[in-house]
Amino acid sequence: MADYLRKQLPALIVALLLVFTASVSAQSNRESGNDDAAVAEQVEALKKKVIRLNRDLFILEEDLLFPANTQVAVFVSVDTGKFLELDAVKLKVDDEIVASHLYTERQVTALARGGMQRLYIGNLKTGRHQITAFVEGVGPEQRPYKQAASLEFEKGTGTAALEIRVEDRSSNYQPSVSILEWE
Amino acid sequence: MVSKVSKLFRGRLVLFTGMLLWLTTVASVQAEETQPERVKDLRYGWALYEYHQGNAFEALTQLAVARERGGIDGHGDYPALVEGGLMLSWGMTREASRVFTQLLGDDGAGSTLAPDVRNQAWFYLGKVFYLEGDHALARKNLERVNGDVLAEANHELFREWVYLQARLLMMSPDSGDESKRISLQALLEDTDIWALYLRYNSAVSTLDAGDSVAAEAELKKLISIIDPPSLADEPDRERQGMLSRARLSLAQLYLRENRFEAALEVLGAMSLSGVYVEQALFAYAVAAARQGQPERALDALDSLSNRELFSPWRQQVPFARAYVLEQMNKPQRALSAFKQAADHYAARIEALNNTRARLSEENLMAQLEFRRDSDGILTDSFGRLQVEPVDFSIAEVLAEETFQQALAELNELYQMQSFIAERQARFESFRVMLETREQQRRIRIAQTRAALASQQADQWQQLQQAFSEKISAALAEEDARFFMTSKQKALRERLDQVEATLAGLPDDETTASQRATYRRMRAHFDWWIANDYGVNRWDAQKQLQDLDREMERFQSQRQRVEALMADDARHDDLAQRITASEQELESVGEEVSNALRSARQKLLHQVDRMLEARQEEISGYLLASRHAQARLADQLFQESQSAGASNE
Repeated sequence: MADYLRKQLPALIVALLLVFTASVSAQSNRESGNDDAAVAEQVEALKKKVIRLNRDLFILEEDLLFPANTQVAVFVSVDTGKFLELDAVKLKVDDEIVASHLYTERQVTALARGGMQRLYIGNLKTGRHQITAFVEGVGPEQRPYKQAASLEFEKGTGTAALEIRVEDRSSNYQPSVSILEWE
Repeated sequence: MVSKVSKLFRGRLVLFTGMLLWLTTVASVQAEETQPERVKDLRYGWALYEYHQGNAFEALTQLAVARERGGIDGHGDYPALVEGGLMLSWGMTREASRVFTQLLGDDGAGSTLAPDVRNQAWFYLGKVFYLEGDHALARKNLERVNGDVLAEANHELFREWVYLQARLLMMSPDSGDESKRISLQALLEDTDIWALYLRYNSAVSTLDAGDSVAAEAELKKLISIIDPPSLADEPDRERQGMLSRARLSLAQLYLRENRFEAALEVLGAMSLSGVYVEQALFAYAVAAARQGQPERALDALDSLSNRELFSPWRQQVPFARAYVLEQMNKPQRALSAFKQAADHYAARIEALNNTRARLSEENLMAQLEFRRDSDGILTDSFGRLQVEPVDFSIAEVLAEETFQQALAELNELYQMQSFIAERQARFESFRVMLETREQQRRIRIAQTRAALASQQADQWQQLQQAFSEKISAALAEEDARFFMTSKQKALRERLDQVEATLAGLPDDETTASQRATYRRMRAHFDWWIANDYGVNRWDAQKQLQDLDREMERFQSQRQRVEALMADDARHDDLAQRITASEQELESVGEEVSNALRSARQKLLHQVDRMLEARQEEISGYLLASRHAQARLADQLFQESQSAGASNE
């Protein structure tokens, strides 16, 4: 019995060393078992399917709700956003407010990095229409900033795409807002 | 002491959530320091908007939609690169590998992308495979990186790339890789944090191979490089962690070789606020006990048992404490301590039994604290959730890469399930939209029919037909009168009136002059009609042809409108697409449910395995404590018997 007990402490040391070795693999990789790999592959295959499905549903929804001959989409872009910290955008089409959006920090960053937000999608008859965008934020010297831009455009029989562009104007260190029509 | 403990706790949190994910935190998937280029394609801009928010699924969907709608113009290979990066960050590593290989070519040169961009794509792909434990693919992709270009473009990544390559060579069974590893390691400065990790891992590999002398030398060298800490140019905490780790490892090596004095010296140099303080205290106790200094051992064990938070190292304390008391020749106290230890272990085993029996996803999640912002759970660049343990006892399993992956998979599967549920709910509205669309169509058809009816199209057609027949008959009979102009017809009428007037007058001298005039006029008129016949006929035929053409166009348009009104192809197509999508959604939903079950089981199995291992370890201590109890009781009984006998 005494011998048994005396053997316990070295056993603990061995346990320590085992843990020590295990802790080393914190910097190394762990081998994944076949089951783990199978689940990971299964999840990856599912992700592919879900993306495809979402794509199909997205297109279906657009085809259903916004047929090409009446569709109009409005995007927002910020280039580069040094003179304006975007806060909110409101959109009017033919004197009716159709969209408004308050931006989160992540969304503002995404816009500043070159992303474009689809602010609005809807249907318009062919003919002349007026679109007005109201942009709010914090401008130079932390002053509240508000500006509107307007555009009259001809809606043809194809899809119409417009861009509300917020730009830095280096000539007067002020932001500027404009609306452009994409071909 | 309390403040030191909490500081230590924070340090350990960093260890478990940060150190093992060290590789993932250095850089994001794509370098974004440069000013972004203005997008030339709206759909790409939209995909980037989602991408920069970390919404990989939405961004991948937009890229897929863009591909379906004819692709993205004006951005060359960058959309594919972004797609590959998104797939990496969403855990689609195999698909990302396929995209990158297709994009960059096997030699990495088959693309219009800048060389540094290509390099980074290979680097991140290799790194993800490394983290997943797929060493062959990790090596393959990391070898595609051009080291010189990477060093020039991003030295931070270059250092990491060297580290990853050296680690892969270290793990390779091919002994010929050793010289390659040494030459790679030489690319890093000795004080570089990556070089320190490599040196540490090299020491461990050497020890595993049985060469303790070389391992000792390597660990001593490592300690001398890090200490004094003033040399540090990386975050101090990381270097201090590495220093503690190296010292602990060296002390453990000494313990294994029964060099207790040396072990005590190394452990004594360790900070009490370090990350490895609990292991160090226990090792100190072991060394002191073996060195014949039980009081110091007891002090170390007391310090360890006074720690507020649970640590796997603490479960050894009750047994070790009793053992040390026995070593101090205090059998009564030792017996009592062994009894306490046995009771403690029995209670722990019972508690673990309960924990294992009640182990569920809900219980497990209650032990985890996810970092969130307004948009949901935060993840790192590789899709791993930012999570910390609420109960520190599960930190061990949480730190495992496989657990992190399983957790991320589970979260992704839940997101997919929620997406499917949300989409399923929208199918009803899809149907309503389709029905509304159909109703509007019917209304438009009714309106069109009414408009067509008001045009009296059939009547006009009959008139055109009758007119055409009359002209044909006149042509056949060469009826010049039929083709007279309006002026001629008016003149003929007037001549007819004159003729009628003359017919009512006496045919004598009084009207002879008028009759002669009339005959002359009639003759002239007949001659005029005959002379104009060709012109008038041609004019009438031309008018008829124009009318025929217009009628034909009208009929054709009418037929087209009728066909459109009768045709339900568009509606049928949409209806079919809705049905097909719904079926597919249902099928994917079932697959997601199955995968969720598997992922849940996998996760719980890992935790259960950890608890089981802990239980087995505790059972060993319980058994040893009970044996010691029996032995000491027996010893004390015999001693009391002997004392009684001698008294008698």
